[in-house]
Amino acid sequence: MKSAQEAQADPKYKTAVTELLYQLADDDFIIAFRGSEWLGLAPHIEEDVAFSSINQDTMGHAAIYYQLLEALGEGDADALAHDREAGQRKNAILLEEVNGPGHYLKKPLYDWAFAVVRHYFYAQAKKVRIESLKNSSYQPLADAAVKINMELYYHLLHWKTWFTQLVTAKGEAPERMKNAIDKVCEDMEGVLTLGPKGANMAALGLIEEEKLLTQRWHNEMEKVFEPLPISLPPVQAKRGNGREGVHTEDLNSALATLGEVYKQDPVASW
Amino acid sequence: MTNNGREFYQEFEVFSSKSNGEQVQHQFSLLAPNEEIALVMAQENFMRRQPVADIWVVKRSNVRKMTQEEKGSLQRLDNKEYRTTKGYGYLKKKWRHYEQNILDEKEILSWGGDDKK
Amino acid sequence: MSTTLSYDRLSEEEKHSQFMERIESGEKIEADDWMPKDYRMTLIKLISMHGISEIMGALPEKEWVPKAPSLRRKLGIMAKVQDEMGHGQLLLRVAEDLMKPMGKTREEIMQDLFRGDLKFHNVFHMPAPTWGDAGLIGWLVDGAAIITQTNMLKASYGPYARALKRICAEEVFHAQHGEAIIMALAEGTEEQRALIQDAIDRWWESLLMFFGPASATTTGTSKQDTTIKYRIRTKTNEELRQAFLDKYIPRVLSLGLTIPDETLHYDKEKQQWVYQQPDWNEFKNIVRNNGPKSKDRLDLRITAYENNAWVREALSPDGAVV
Ligand SMILES: [Fe+2]
Ligand SMILES: [Fe+2]
Repeated sequence: MKSAQEAQADPKYKTAVTELLYQLADDDFIIAFRGSEWLGLAPHIEEDVAFSSINQDTMGHAAIYYQLLEALGEGDADALAHDREAGQRKNAILLEEVNGPGHYLKKPLYDWAFAVVRHYFYAQAKKVRIESLKNSSYQPLADAAVKINMELYYHLLHWKTWFTQLVTAKGEAPERMKNAIDKVCEDMEGVLTLGPKGANMAALGLIEEEKLLTQRWHNEMEKVFEPLPISLPPVQAKRGNGREGVHTEDLNSALATLGEVYKQDPVASW
Repeated sequence: MTNNGREFYQEFEVFSSKSNGEQVQHQFSLLAPNEEIALVMAQENFMRRQPVADIWVVKRSNVRKMTQEEKGSLQRLDNKEYRTTKGYGYLKKKWRHYEQNILDEKEILSWGGDDKK
Repeated sequence: MSTTLSYDRLSEEEKHSQFMERIESGEKIEADDWMPKDYRMTLIKLISMHGISEIMGALPEKEWVPKAPSLRRKLGIMAKVQDEMGHGQLLLRVAEDLMKPMGKTREEIMQDLFRGDLKFHNVFHMPAPTWGDAGLIGWLVDGAAIITQTNMLKASYGPYARALKRICAEEVFHAQHGEAIIMALAEGTEEQRALIQDAIDRWWESLLMFFGPASATTTGTSKQDTTIKYRIRTKTNEELRQAFLDKYIPRVLSLGLTIPDETLHYDKEKQQWVYQQPDWNEFKNIVRNNGPKSKDRLDLRITAYENNAWVREALSPDGAVV
């Protein structure tokens, strides 16, 4: 499909591509939000600056996907980002989870180990997905994937560096990292899945099959874990499937913050 | 023994080049526990709004700087025209006498151009 | 010629007078150069306060990063607050190099901040309760910061001047980012306009205080004479405040907004703004960490610092082997 108009003319295709775009957009939007809560709270100032760039890139990717949805007649990109209920969101549950105990403005006892593992595993999953999307049958999405791919090299390098160093570091770091890996793996399947409409997406050439993508992610992770003194536990979707609109309380509170000003007057120009 | 994480703050000097083929230039310094982390901090801290083609990070302790006293050794007399074209300016007039042009910088550096004619 | 081969053999007075000659002729001093103790201490005080204020200044705006009302604004304010952290990085590096001969590192800067020995700028002790405040900070607080920072672009201390050059280049973006938020609100609904007017009313006194007291007689301390003597800055606090009023009052009024000071007017004869003095006792109180948000913001910073201590320990080259 070359354009939004063509896709709109084919209801089955449109449903599948919209579903995929919501997953991609909502994943990036919510993880960028969680990342932005870290602003000013990272282990050192230099990392605060570097981490913020990654969050900006990721929020920028979400904006690209929301614009693709807007072009498909789903409504204004800002409304899609700010004004959809939790039940309508398609992001993985892992990505909505709070950064740790506390609040971004009060006693944030955020867990850097969890941040590193979640962002690293997500960046790798995103990379696998983006590689596949470069050949998407939906041309506007394939074009977007080529652009987004450029920024993923840095995200991966950045998180992989923190990940391998902390896993092999001294003191309490390996233990904290192990706990974080266990925690992330409990919900990582929710990131890797394309949800109940995944088979349709693959059949229409929008993206490759979920099984194939998941296998690629595992292959990449194995390469990283191979020299490390730990192994990757099995990935699960313990708290359910975000692609089906299943979410936790963490998403509700996130959406309240994200939309606080927007919802004061959704038709105003801000 | 712990050092309260104090040693985490190692000093690195950051250098970068703007584009392929350009010389590297000093940018600034940052703190990081090792070169790998220093390298992934560098671009976003100092060059997030400009193109970069390459980055070097160098541990500050590996840079041998000059002391203020040593900087005194950098001074030279201004009597070295013989080393520059300034000392040979009279050739221009001489060559004019033989109806030839002087081979100045502009002329000589233009020879590197692709004149396949 | 400012340095000679026998530099180390010069007496302290000779070094001092050579130093003054250097800065008076516009030469830049570098980190490893000889400098009077007074100069070093003045710079450390000024630059560590400037640096830590950038870091603390990120906190009132941080609140509005996730809340910004559109994707575009979310991205803009993320980039803006990132820059402020980046300014902190640049300035703390400059201060850290100056403190190095005294065996001090970033760790000590943080501890000084936490203990209340290192102060941060009065404006960052204030609350920012609405999106209007986020806009106002970008517009007028950054506007005020631009006035003071450009005043030091030619500072005699090379590393500071170079950091300021990078910072001021980014401040141009900050100014426009703030104006974009304000412009949208000013051209928006009644409620949106009220957001900015309330923010101006809330911030006016703090903005006047931003430049510090006109002279030491107001609050008992002022470093301005020393910094001018050492060619770190050129204008006095009052000159900077006047420059700010010159630049920004017409812009505020042009949007139909008002300034909460009925006595404010321009004295054409004296060519300066006449304004109601802020409460300078309150200023002293605020910078001693008794402002409305001082404790919260310090708490936030302390929590983050201590909570991540394990990361710094784990990666310290000869770090903890427990
Ligand atoms: Fe700044
Ligand atoms: Fe700024």
